[in-house]
Amino acid sequence: MNYEKLFNPTDEHQALREMVADFTRAEVEPQAAEFDAKGVLNVDLFRKLGELGLLGITIPEEGGGAGMDAVAAVIAHHELSKSDPGFCLAYLAHSMLFVNNFYWASNDEQRGRYLEKTISGEWIGGMGMTEPGAGTDVIGMTTTAVKDGDSYVLNGTKTYITNGCEGYVFLVYAKTGDRITAFIVDRDCPGFSTSHHIDKLGMRGSTMSELIFEDCRIPASNLLGKEGGGLTHMMRNLEIERLTLAAMSVGIADRCVEIMVRHGQERHTFGQPINQYGQIQRYIADGYAMTEAAKCLVYNVARDVGPDVHNRIGSDAAKLFAAPVGKMVADYAMQVMGGSGYCREYPVERLWRDAKLLEIGGGTLEAHQKNLTKDLARLHRI
Amino acid sequence: MKIGVCAKITPDADARIKVAADGQSIVLDGVKFGISDYDEYAIEEAIRTKEKHGGEIVSFTVGDASADKQLRSGALALGVDRSVLVTENPGDPLGIAKLLAAAIQKEGGFDVVFTGKSTIDQQNFQIGTMVAELLGWAHVTQVTALEFEGNQFKATRNMDAGIRQVVAGTLPAVISCEDGLNTVRYAKLPDIMKAKKKPLDSVGAGAIGGDAGAARSSVGNLAPPPARPAGRMIEGDAATAAKELVRLLRDEAKVL
Ligand SMILES: Cc1cc2nc3c(=O)[nH]c(=O)nc-3n(C[C@H](O)[C@H](O)[C@H](O)COP(=O)(O)OP(=O)(O)OC[C@H]3O[C@@H](n4cnc5c(N)ncnc54)[C@H](O)[C@@H]3O)c2cc1C
Repeated sequence: MNYEKLFNPTDEHQALREMVADFTRAEVEPQAAEFDAKGVLNVDLFRKLGELGLLGITIPEEGGGAGMDAVAAVIAHHELSKSDPGFCLAYLAHSMLFVNNFYWASNDEQRGRYLEKTISGEWIGGMGMTEPGAGTDVIGMTTTAVKDGDSYVLNGTKTYITNGCEGYVFLVYAKTGDRITAFIVDRDCPGFSTSHHIDKLGMRGSTMSELIFEDCRIPASNLLGKEGGGLTHMMRNLEIERLTLAAMSVGIADRCVEIMVRHGQERHTFGQPINQYGQIQRYIADGYAMTEAAKCLVYNVARDVGPDVHNRIGSDAAKLFAAPVGKMVADYAMQVMGGSGYCREYPVERLWRDAKLLEIGGGTLEAHQKNLTKDLARLHRI
Repeated sequence: MKIGVCAKITPDADARIKVAADGQSIVLDGVKFGISDYDEYAIEEAIRTKEKHGGEIVSFTVGDASADKQLRSGALALGVDRSVLVTENPGDPLGIAKLLAAAIQKEGGFDVVFTGKSTIDQQNFQIGTMVAELLGWAHVTQVTALEFEGNQFKATRNMDAGIRQVVAGTLPAVISCEDGLNTVRYAKLPDIMKAKKKPLDSVGAGAIGGDAGAARSSVGNLAPPPARPAGRMIEGDAATAAKELVRLLRDEAKVL
């Protein structure tokens, strides 16, 4: 297949990429270091993503979105992460973990209440799955929801929830009896609160906190789908989540390759540019090859993922492969830059810190290995 | 208001331009194309004018049939309502201006037509002026601020020495846009999707009743800029080197 067609299947995909790339260069890059240092989300910039129509990227036109596909979502995350993965993580938690997941699980009445204001960015959203006692082991969650008249009463704590500090509305998974069910909880629900901001190594352009439910009462109309249908929603959304996380890693790797190629020519030691040395060539060439391989895999899988088309094996494989690539290429770039790579003055150390998250969040490497092995064995049963 | 805008597809501002072996054209392989920068200000001003005064925006382009891609993402996705693409390749700027004027006349009913002050590839600064002359309309070049009231316009332009000149006139007019007139917006994603359904007419000169005529001038040859001479290192301690630098700047470079 034509290489370019893999990354930009249609003219609209290409126009999207150019728009996001222009916006990223002009508005995202200049603020990245400052918000990384402060460890807060740039809310004003986030709202601009809403104005550009990026927050409802995968929502059909009749829902007020752009009606684009998983490849488009991958493009947006890829381009934003070349400059600011932390900010992009807030975008992902909102537009993929909340808006996309919510849309495909909700009814018209619920869409009427929450969709417009989350697509515009007036309300920031997030998703709460992980708990202090249950991360990889999602099924082990202990947050409960009990029906009481025309309400549900929630008790429990979610943790490491991206956009927890700024968010108004969250898609929350809780147990009804022994089955997992999805609910919408917003700031106006009594008994709902969030913790302090949980400080972290990287991805500091986004925040995370706990979501705390203390006899939190939500209207019964905030049940998403059916009781016990939570796992179905979770699984349906996991693929695009993994692909966009993998795309963030590709964005980091792409940027780091660009930095290495430039620095390798500019920096002279012993009277010649450092890209004349075999050891440096290995970082640059291996970094480039790994980046291109990850990019091809991610985009190739993205073509086969949508609300009704699934590719679990592909999305697990894409994130499992791409996450370490982002981390390694960032490490290569730091090595090629020497001391300057370690300094805050340049973006590499920030990208290096950000990259590690992609081996943990949205499923650890080990979780992908476990899922893949199980799915492959099922596919090729002996 | 009925608003027209002329927009040319040119190599991207940061594309690496190389002169082709024939010495008369540039190498187009691998070059990214887009709407010429100053024409982007023209499109933006057209959209702002429509937002303020209502109406319709039609864009006009003389260029290759493949220009439809850039017109969709760079004009229709931003807010231009319809595009007319005249697929001809006239030999000189006058030919291009004649086709644009014919297309504008064929469409008819315009209050104002915006153009860039020049295009970033040829930098001839001719099209806006010639289109205005062919149409017999008022014309202001290098506009940095603009207002409309009824059938009157008031355009500000920068003169030398930072003096600002305000030119008033009666519509219809051709306004050539300068850097600083506005800030170009980003295409919104839903509009990128809607742009694919907006009308884009690809027409030949015959369909608009236009004729580029025989070229009255032609490009002789293109020469790349001479390679930059190597830098010169000045030896010695800081004080000596600084003195030597000042002497060279004054006596050799004659810039002091
Ligand atoms: C910056 C950041 C943002 C996040 N945002 C969100 C969010 O918005 N919403 C949300 O719900 N969660 C979020 N998370 C949580 C994230 O999804 C979890 O941290 C992740 O799923 C891992 O869970 P855990 O931390 O409980 O680790 P654990 O599950 O305790 O894992 C610890 C280690 O054991 C390994 N392990 C666990 N089980 C197995 C097994 N069966 N076989 C082999 N190895 C195993 C893991 O791979 C890992 O190496 C976020 C986390 C971070 C750091």
